[in-house]
Amino acid sequence: MKHNLRHKGIRGLDKVQILGEYFFSNIHKKPIYDIEWHTIGQLRDLAVHWEGDFPKVTGIKYAKGVQSHIPIEQVNKITHRGIELKGKFSESELIPLQPDEIYMGKWLMDKQIIDLKGSKVVRVNDIKLFWVQTPERRYLVPTAVDIGLRGLARRLGVEFLFKKREHHLVWWQFIQHLEEKTASLKLTGDRSQLDQLHPADLADLIEDLDYKKRTDIIEDLDLEIAAEAFAEMELDTQLEILDHMDSRQASNLLEEMPPDEAADLLGELPEEKSAELLKLMEPEEAQEVRELMDYEEGTAGALMTPEYIALPPGLTVNEAIAKLRRLASEAETIYYLYILDENRTLSGVVSLRELLVATPVTKLQDIMRTRIIQVNVQDDVERVAELLNKYSLLAIPVVNAQEQMLGIITVDDVLEILIPDRSSLETFSNFFVSKRTMK
Amino acid sequence: MGPGIITSNVDNDAGGITTYSVAGAALGYKCLWIFLPMIVALVVIQEMCTRMGAVTGKGLADLVRERFGVKITFYAMVGLLLGNLGNIMSEFAGVAASMELFGVSKYISLPLAALFTWWLVLRWSYRVVERVFLAACLIYFCYIFSGYLARPQWGEVARGLVVPSFSFDSSYLVILVGLIGTTIAPWMQFYIQSAVVEKGITVKDYAYTKYDVIVGSIMVNLVAVFIVISCAATLHVQGIKVDSAQEAALALAPLAGTWASTLFAIGLLNASLFSASILPLSTAYFLCEAFGIEAGIDKSWDEAPAFYWLYTILIVVGAGVILIPKISLIAVMFWSQVINGVMLPFVLIFMLILINNKDLMGDHVNGRTFNLISWITVAVMIILTLLMVVTSLFPV
Repeated sequence: MKHNLRHKGIRGLDKVQILGEYFFSNIHKKPIYDIEWHTIGQLRDLAVHWEGDFPKVTGIKYAKGVQSHIPIEQVNKITHRGIELKGKFSESELIPLQPDEIYMGKWLMDKQIIDLKGSKVVRVNDIKLFWVQTPERRYLVPTAVDIGLRGLARRLGVEFLFKKREHHLVWWQFIQHLEEKTASLKLTGDRSQLDQLHPADLADLIEDLDYKKRTDIIEDLDLEIAAEAFAEMELDTQLEILDHMDSRQASNLLEEMPPDEAADLLGELPEEKSAELLKLMEPEEAQEVRELMDYEEGTAGALMTPEYIALPPGLTVNEAIAKLRRLASEAETIYYLYILDENRTLSGVVSLRELLVATPVTKLQDIMRTRIIQVNVQDDVERVAELLNKYSLLAIPVVNAQEQMLGIITVDDVLEILIPDRSSLETFSNFFVSKRTMK
Repeated sequence: MGPGIITSNVDNDAGGITTYSVAGAALGYKCLWIFLPMIVALVVIQEMCTRMGAVTGKGLADLVRERFGVKITFYAMVGLLLGNLGNIMSEFAGVAASMELFGVSKYISLPLAALFTWWLVLRWSYRVVERVFLAACLIYFCYIFSGYLARPQWGEVARGLVVPSFSFDSSYLVILVGLIGTTIAPWMQFYIQSAVVEKGITVKDYAYTKYDVIVGSIMVNLVAVFIVISCAATLHVQGIKVDSAQEAALALAPLAGTWASTLFAIGLLNASLFSASILPLSTAYFLCEAFGIEAGIDKSWDEAPAFYWLYTILIVVGAGVILIPKISLIAVMFWSQVINGVMLPFVLIFMLILINNKDLMGDHVNGRTFNLISWITVAVMIILTLLMVVTSLFPV
């Protein structure tokens, strides 16, 4: 518990006393009494205000259609029977909803959120609140959402059937909200927590969302992470997202992706759209992608990426390592260094291991292997897979008829084709004819 | 092919064929007038669903949950579950009836059919299956030829189509509710909206979907009209009431002669299996979606146990009930459609509240005409249902 409160930024932690814990559905629509036991209304909703990343309840909406609420400071006692106020109820003490406040129930109950721990899109069945006393004041804070069956049963009034089941709670710091709070409440970097997820998990999550939220989230993410996650998605989803994105942002995303994947995607888009996106991309990257798009599907050319490490034969091992350091981030793989002469002809290969164990002053041409396993751009995928498998390679170079090197194909590019995702074959969406066959 | 045409073809299922046959045999051309207003209502209602799907990107069950909360969703889903269970039972009754025409006992055909649909959907890519079934749905166009060859009195047909007739007889009202219930079935609205969402159709590429819905609605009603005409021209004139599939098959005799019952059996079997493989799965899916439970056949049994159990139970119960000795197959197929009709206004009311919500739909809320037509449909269905209940309790 203390651990969770520390996240709320409440000082004087040692003196925190818990006055009560509630589920929103337990206190929702419960009567509100003043000091003389007159019923004032019902708890319709709770207004919350963000301090930093964490919300605090500021007031109680006590009647339908009333936009002002009872300040939380006036509450004396909260029980499952009702809410008791400290004094008499007077309209003059009511406070209107501030622009940076939101009604919690309306905003969150029954809506979808992302459970960052389970990395899943889930629905909120209930909200857990703690009422705590610090030396200075009292706080009512939402601390977790209930996404379990027991929460569902509680809402239906049959929780007793599930008494043995654990509450399935997600603590506030592990929640990623999907619904916008309000226009003025959209915090910058609100979705930054998503960056910590694995791109493949992030991709699965985004695929579970509806098309508007998909685009929203992609646009909010850090570009590099967005591109990584995007590359992991199903082709249908990728196309849909590109279709709804602002063209400039779509082109940024494509730039960040490996050019071979960007080329595959653009090849699936209508010509007009792909031309528009290519025009918006950096000329250099666009050129790479354009060249890749010219190769026929199923050939080595269509699979390869031009982002490999090329070094001249005259370089020493030391110089090569220094250069590698600079090039590494851009390349698809760094385990093989390809030695090209001035005509870009492939003359040898050095593996990272060989480079590291060689004496620093040796020249690359003295340690490189000259018996090179390679494929031609026109070769088909089966041939590529066969060679990768036979020689246990992580990547294979692709050359043209003049033996000039054009790119590499990594083993995961081939795996993706040979072992399609189970989900892409048998999802519920295959119930309906696929989008592509429709067009 | 878009969601509208597919949904319409799924709609021509065992319950649909039976209800149209029963109506044609019992009432003749007199009940044809209902189809013109029904086309309008079907187009309007399906367009609303596709529009909601396109604008919000969410399924109908999701929207109900987010707007109305757990309790109302629970009742709505229980209703949908029971209604769909009725439909699933009617699909298996269709399997049993058609296989009996081939001389196969239902105690053999039903377990096999249940196993087949269960296994098929879990193991195969649905896309292939769907195309096969859709192609086989073309068999229903046989009714158009058969209706023509039966030499109906076209003057009567034309009059039947435009001149409304009405009766306070309870059996007449039951047929009317069944006809509307099978044509504008509640589950279709959930299905078509999911189809729109799954296909990623959005407001931008939505115009095409409108035509898809119109074409689909006209197709389903055209086939229905000709089933009624065929039955009216062959069965009604001889005073035969449809009590068995054997009798229903006679409507195809003008086209197929002695082969009529074979043709009918193939058509019915196809329609039943097609819908029997779609309904249990989509029902399990909608229910899980609404309650935020893991669902989908891309998940394993361990990941989504509730989904798979629900799916399995729906098939087992649906087929199991039909195994009861001496159960009337035609009655199951017909009455399940009447239940659909009774449930329709409730689904429509949910839809109307949702689609008129500005927060949700923005500028795409319903226009006045659409609201008017939908509310009239709601009112008509409620009045018909009440009349049906009252007249069966106190016959005139």
